[in-house]
Amino acid sequence: MKTMTANRKKIGTTLGFVALAVAILAVALWSRQINQVAIPEDRTLFVAAFLAAAVLGVAAFAIGTRWFGGVPAIFAIAVGSFLPFTIAISPQQVAENPIRVGDTIPIFTALDDTGERFRSDDLAGSPVLIKFFRGHW
Amino acid sequence: MAELQREFDKRGVQVLTVSTDKPGVIQKKRGVHRLKARMLSDRNLAVTDAFGLRNQLIHSGPPGDDVEALPVPTTLLVNSDGKVLWIDQAENYQRRSGPEVVMAALQTHLDAP
Repeated sequence: MKTMTANRKKIGTTLGFVALAVAILAVALWSRQINQVAIPEDRTLFVAAFLAAAVLGVAAFAIGTRWFGGVPAIFAIAVGSFLPFTIAISPQQVAENPIRVGDTIPIFTALDDTGERFRSDDLAGSPVLIKFFRGHW
Repeated sequence: MAELQREFDKRGVQVLTVSTDKPGVIQKKRGVHRLKARMLSDRNLAVTDAFGLRNQLIHSGPPGDDVEALPVPTTLLVNSDGKVLWIDQAENYQRRSGPEVVMAALQTHLDAP
């Protein structure tokens, strides 16, 4: 019995490290794509890789691991579930009547980063590139 | 980015950015991109709503910031009469267009054939 448990723990512990390795590899590849502003339209493979890391981490615990196999397994579960979560919440959808090509832009006003007031008439006579983004975070 | 600024200057294109960041946050990060843009702080989403660009799906905003919603990441090229010539919009926030897409838009829509 003791030998069987020891063997199981060996397998479980190894699995914990394998899980972490998969998670780290997936994060490295994902980060590279992000830096190249090149996340593919179909992120299925990424999701699969991250979930695989999480599943392997869970399997490690299910089979039974020594404490030092549990640590990477926990990381793998956390990292492996986080990215699919962010992918799940990332879809965007505009309001019912968004601005479209051919429309004239509305009149608008706002404060800029120095606290100065900006008015859309300030643009008159120039072409302008307007970028709406989610902020610096 | 500096290359892009030269292309904007060549064509007399002004650059305007809109986000819900507080003015202080925007100022702090300005040094990074070095564009001569006028950067607006749209805390109450008035500008975002005027353009109909408020994201209607799950809101995931900056931690610690209680802003109600964020705009769908969108870039518009507008001519000197205020008419929208080109729009680039994200169907999810992880996919962003690179500067080459903006370059192509400038060349396609502003340069004489």
